[in-house]
Amino acid sequence: MAGKFSRRAFLQGTVLGSGALVLGAPAVSAQAQGKTIRCGVVTSLSGDNRFGGNLTRRGYDLWAEEINKLGGVEIAGERYPVEMFYGDAQSRPASGADAAVRLIIQDKVDVLFGPYTSGVTLAVQPISAKYQVPMISGSAESPNVWLPKPPFNFGMIPAVDLTSGKSIKVLAESLGSQAKSAAVIGVDEPFSKETAEGFRNGVQEAGLELKRFELFPANADLTPVISKLKADNPDIVAVGGHESVFINFINTAQSLDYRPKALIMHYGVTSAAFINQLGEEANGVLGVSVWTAGLPYRDDLFGTASDYSELSFTRWGTRPDYTEAACSASGLVLQDAARRLGKAPPWDQQTRVELTKAIEDTDIETFYGPVAFAKEGDHFHNNIKPVPVVVQIKGGNVVPVAPSGASEGELLYPMPGAS
Amino acid sequence: MDLFLQAIVNGVLIGGILICLTVGFQLTFGVLHVIDFAVGGWVMLGGYAAYWLVALAGIDPFISIFFVFALFALIGRAIGPLIYHVRTSRYARPDLMALAFTFGLFLLMRGGALWLWSYNSRNVESVFSGEFLTVGSVTIPLLRLSAFLMAILISLGVFLLLYRTRFGMAVRAVAQNRDHAGLMGVDVKRVSAYVYGLYTGITASAGVLIATIYSVNPSVGVRYTLFAFFVAVLAGLGSVGGVLIAGLALGLLESLASTYVGSRYSLLIVFGVLFLVLLVAPKGVLGRGI
Repeated sequence: MAGKFSRRAFLQGTVLGSGALVLGAPAVSAQAQGKTIRCGVVTSLSGDNRFGGNLTRRGYDLWAEEINKLGGVEIAGERYPVEMFYGDAQSRPASGADAAVRLIIQDKVDVLFGPYTSGVTLAVQPISAKYQVPMISGSAESPNVWLPKPPFNFGMIPAVDLTSGKSIKVLAESLGSQAKSAAVIGVDEPFSKETAEGFRNGVQEAGLELKRFELFPANADLTPVISKLKADNPDIVAVGGHESVFINFINTAQSLDYRPKALIMHYGVTSAAFINQLGEEANGVLGVSVWTAGLPYRDDLFGTASDYSELSFTRWGTRPDYTEAACSASGLVLQDAARRLGKAPPWDQQTRVELTKAIEDTDIETFYGPVAFAKEGDHFHNNIKPVPVVVQIKGGNVVPVAPSGASEGELLYPMPGAS
Repeated sequence: MDLFLQAIVNGVLIGGILICLTVGFQLTFGVLHVIDFAVGGWVMLGGYAAYWLVALAGIDPFISIFFVFALFALIGRAIGPLIYHVRTSRYARPDLMALAFTFGLFLLMRGGALWLWSYNSRNVESVFSGEFLTVGSVTIPLLRLSAFLMAILISLGVFLLLYRTRFGMAVRAVAQNRDHAGLMGVDVKRVSAYVYGLYTGITASAGVLIATIYSVNPSVGVRYTLFAFFVAVLAGLGSVGGVLIAGLALGLLESLASTYVGSRYSLLIVFGVLFLVLLVAPKGVLGRGI
């Protein structure tokens, strides 16, 4: 038996070795985690909303890449690199909630970046509250996201009822006495309905006569609605819906020999797909954006809004829209809050609560615009500072036309080919 | 009065498309005894085929509709025997299995379309896009009028095929009694496969017309599956003749309800009527349904 490993020695060695591993593990793990800020992204990387979901991912990733080029987030004189973890919501709220739990429990993330859709965001909110992990959402736009007053969730984009309402007022101010009446229509589904209601409130606050407010089912034949609009002949027509509704609206209106004097829509008008699909017919259509590359905003990491647009174009090959911009700016909010907090990661539960308070107190200027979260009311924790920009499609390009501070071109009214 | 006339014209024009959409669906139910959940999927794929034929080859949808018909008829002919196999299986509940099979087919189509072409809507341009006729105070979109005429032409073609050809006689025989038709020398499996091919060809053609009027994206199928079901039930399941009345009725009902009650309530009214029809006349408007 000489020179051989005895059974007793083997067992002793195994037990001692395992004990050393178990005892040593927390120290090794804490040291590894201590070097980075662990950020979890819950978004739709597959399913119906995967394209939007990937836009959010691009925005968050661009911030992570840029801050890591500087060595990471600066906290109390030290830099801590950012490490990104992803959870696929599969475009389903329940899957989003599961992904958030995995990110918090398994990947031990310090902070979450929020989903693309409002539905998934609402499903993830209770998870972030339960584990007391702050979540900064760069995309959710439904006002319903903020009504429950989520204690750990913050939204970068003003809710759609605010942006659509403000945009009508901005448009009415720019048109002056030329516009006296408006009609609002929208799809009878959560996001679109809220957009339409925001437009309606804006019409009333701007002192315009509301000639019609009508909701219709998704994928409905728009002929009856447009026939009625044609008979009403309002000065402004506002449509709450998504890009497919806008395309159908313009096609159907054209086939009925009707083109409103001003047609304002919300989400989707600025997308390349909308402009490409409609070509000439898209000319003159108005849209709303909380951010464009021409806005005079800047910060230390990304530079100006225009610099950000160039950087994103170089990195991803397409121009960023406001969702990508808001997601990148989410990182800036975290960066600022962590700096003010002054505590090195990893963050325990108590520190995450303090970090949440620091995020709540955010008041910064970024390339995306001003960021400050409401601390009360129906838009609790929503960034209500940005003023929407009214854009108009001219020759296939999206041109900001109002308000005057952000305008890069003249507002065409009536729009080309108006009835 | 102007608005009323406009609503009637709108309803009739859309009704024609709905007839075309449902005629094949009814035929398949009559012959294969399958309620095809994939009907909206064939509409969606037909729309995409039209889009790509315009985008890549510049072929107007009113010409490409013939290619689309042929292409999808071949695809349907290839799938037909599978559906026949599932429907005539000796294992438990072949009727439910066939339902599940077509539902799976629909999910596959929708998922495949999302994967291939993304969620963005595609606009299908035609020479008739944006053109219109004005008759008095009523505007008639030329695109919808042309689509209506094309849809009626296709539907009439189906009727001629059914009532003026030997193949049509075989189809009607199988629809009446599959076993007896088999005993009289009709190749039931073969006829069923051809009927499924005819159905997919017609439905994809309806998809071309629908995509040209509106636009196409992976989610449009659900709406047309619902409408096909509505027209089929109102017509009486399996009744091809009843489709003519039911399609026009749905088009008019939706248009008038949207105009005078509000678009928001149009589907509520449409399906309320469907509910009443099921209570009062479960065999459909002509009383010939199953």
